[in-house]
Amino acid sequence: MLSRVAESLFWMSRYFERAENTARFLDVNFNLLLDLNKITHVENPNYWIALILVTSDKDRFNSLYDEYSAHTVTDYLVFNKNNPNSITTCISLARENGRSIIESISSEMWEQVNNLYHYLQSVTPQFVHNNPYGFYKEIKNASHLFQGITDNTFSHNEGWDFIQIAKYLERTDNIARLIDVKYHMLLSEAETQAEIVAGSEDIIQWMAVLKSCSALEAFRKVYLSKIDPDNILRFLILDRTFPRSINFSVCAAEDALWRISGSSRHRYVNNADRLIGKMEAELSYTAIEDIYAKGLHHYLEDLEQRLVKVGEQVHLTYFAYHTPEIEPVDVEEALPFTGVAGGRAYWSQAQQHQQQQQ
Amino acid sequence: MSRFFERYEPETRQFFDEVIASEGTPRAHYDKMLQRFAQFSIDDIKARREIVNIFFRNQGITFTVYGEDEGVERLFPFDLIPRVVPAHEWATIEKGLIQRITALNEFLNDIYHGQKILKEKIIPAELILGSQHFRREFVGVTPPLGIYIHVTGSDIIRDRQGNYLVLEDNLRTPSGVSYMLQNRQAMKRAFPVLFDKYKIRPIENYPQELLRTLQEIGTASRREPNVVVLTPGIYNSAYFEHSFLARQMGVELTEGKDLVVNNNKVYTRTTRGLEQVDVIYRRVDDAFLDPLVFRPDSKLGVAGLVNAYRKGNVTLANAIGCGVADDKVIYSFVPKIIKYYLGEDPILENVPTWLASDPADLKYILANLDSLVVKAANESGGYGMLIGPESTIEEQEKFAEMIVANPRNYIAQPTISLSRHPSFFNDTELWGCHIDLRPYVLYGKTITIVPGGLTRVALKRGSLVVNSSQGGGSKDTWVVDE
Repeated sequence: MLSRVAESLFWMSRYFERAENTARFLDVNFNLLLDLNKITHVENPNYWIALILVTSDKDRFNSLYDEYSAHTVTDYLVFNKNNPNSITTCISLARENGRSIIESISSEMWEQVNNLYHYLQSVTPQFVHNNPYGFYKEIKNASHLFQGITDNTFSHNEGWDFIQIAKYLERTDNIARLIDVKYHMLLSEAETQAEIVAGSEDIIQWMAVLKSCSALEAFRKVYLSKIDPDNILRFLILDRTFPRSINFSVCAAEDALWRISGSSRHRYVNNADRLIGKMEAELSYTAIEDIYAKGLHHYLEDLEQRLVKVGEQVHLTYFAYHTPEIEPVDVEEALPFTGVAGGRAYWSQAQQHQQQQQ
Repeated sequence: MSRFFERYEPETRQFFDEVIASEGTPRAHYDKMLQRFAQFSIDDIKARREIVNIFFRNQGITFTVYGEDEGVERLFPFDLIPRVVPAHEWATIEKGLIQRITALNEFLNDIYHGQKILKEKIIPAELILGSQHFRREFVGVTPPLGIYIHVTGSDIIRDRQGNYLVLEDNLRTPSGVSYMLQNRQAMKRAFPVLFDKYKIRPIENYPQELLRTLQEIGTASRREPNVVVLTPGIYNSAYFEHSFLARQMGVELTEGKDLVVNNNKVYTRTTRGLEQVDVIYRRVDDAFLDPLVFRPDSKLGVAGLVNAYRKGNVTLANAIGCGVADDKVIYSFVPKIIKYYLGEDPILENVPTWLASDPADLKYILANLDSLVVKAANESGGYGMLIGPESTIEEQEKFAEMIVANPRNYIAQPTISLSRHPSFFNDTELWGCHIDLRPYVLYGKTITIVPGGLTRVALKRGSLVVNSSQGGGSKDTWVVDE
């Protein structure tokens, strides 16, 4: 398969998943605020700043808006064309990638990307404001429909595997960010507030995290009603059967990568396979206590960095337009990660290309 | 006669009408069609229009209009009444095109080798050597099988008497063949009964024939030649066609950045490494093929491609430098070219042409700008054209200046009253619209022409311009055995 085609499949899938995750964050935040209404004041910008922290876009956001509010954050994350990760931008990019390989994807897949794109062009901020539930539901469903269509109309060969890799790498990254931000918030609140409200707000917030991963019901089946942070982290990071847990997503990405290259448990073919295999193996033998020992924030940050490395290696191995002569000697060191200002940045297609040229 | 055709005014005194003979009676090969349309009401036609529109929309058959807002994709206008070409007329067209393309290929071979035709002064040498499409660097380079023009599409019109004439040769990257194929699919869906009444020669094998032609010109001896289509990318107005043909042939659709040249061989960049390419069906103009040789600002091409081509490691279809033979000035010499190389008289005549580079002709052109059609020698797609009878004095004066400043770049032809074919307007009434015909000629080990071609229609009332970029549409073309 042409590298360009594989790359477009990869990014089409990745941007679609990113749009879905953003819709999930926003959706849950609205619900959360409704729940918290009685306990604390909704206007608290802390509840909105969290969404910007998730996307590591604080600087860009501050250059565009004066305050953190439902209005500004929604506008930034849903509509703003200057935000490379807004839902509208992501779906435009997904469509652009799809359009460039329209002869390679099924016509049903194209129709679905195209429909969502046109739907987003027709939606106004007022509409989202009046019916946030309906709007985010539409985005989530469109993403699920796209995945279902892909599963059922697109050959499960190499191209499909690239779609899976992209989807699960993106998802892993999003779960890690979500947990990290929530952890951040709870920590900072505990520091600033003299007395910590007796847990009920905490619990509601942790439930919101579960909900944004569609994980609340699945969690309850495992841990019954015992909603405490340990169990929630155990579930979202280490569960091997829930499709929006980190461990599951890493396994799925690993499967897809290994199918493409023919790697197996004791023999890896390239660096992408090695790195993802290492992550998967470590996750399998990690207990929640190990994570605490390392520090949750530290652990998640490390995980995100390693995901970026996997992404780089996928790019180098399969997409980079290199000829054998110019292949870097030490591939792992060839592309140091340089995020945009503000630390951890979302990995984007444009960035990947820019790096390649450096 | 049907209601639609009863009210139809063919104006046969002024125009050759494809359906109605001058006596007011239909031509024999349209009898069955008229009988069938007599059974249709306006609603029937509207229902069929809907079938066709849905088909085109679902297939994504659109084209992009330049000069308007970005992203303007339109359905290609399609007329529901098919054009019927009887087998004996087709036989003439086919023979004429084979003769013409054979001669033009000989001509290219000569121009890029001995240049006998110039030395014998059949054609003034300065016309060739001064042509912007003459590629000096390829003198002495011989493409596989000595073939330059693998895929061509000559535009054929009919004059007042119904004679088929060649209006121009498109030897570089003629487009429209996907419309020919899709029009046929649409007609099969919308008019299955009518379809069944005629013995229509099939055209569906075009993609296979194209692939076979491309494989035949591959030089790889060790294996089946690896063929790819090279497109300028998704913003090109013919991108749909490029991806359609790649899909139909089952080969890769590549952009310049998908290809890399290493050691004078061309490769595709795949997820499994590099794969060698033997034949490139390129839909990219010469000037954009290789930034090292042609335009350095081109991002559409592949650096090093031309050297690989010169070494014979990859075949390009069509070859580099073909444009020199479809220049509108050279066009006027094609009858002489046929006579010179084949010793035959042309089966398909040219439209009379005056060359602004010839002093006597130039005088005539300038004196008759209000009645002539003036064309820039190197433009296509209906751009850079003056239609005398439809032009204003200011436009004529502007053209006169341009012609005098650069006579080599202009030709003039009489305003031919192209033949007309009844076509639907608003799906309620029929108008006589001017048409032409572009058959597609494939030149591999043999010359193959799928029976038919793209009939283009000037759907604007009275307009003579059939190009899609200028509001033209198309109709299905049936070559029928009697």
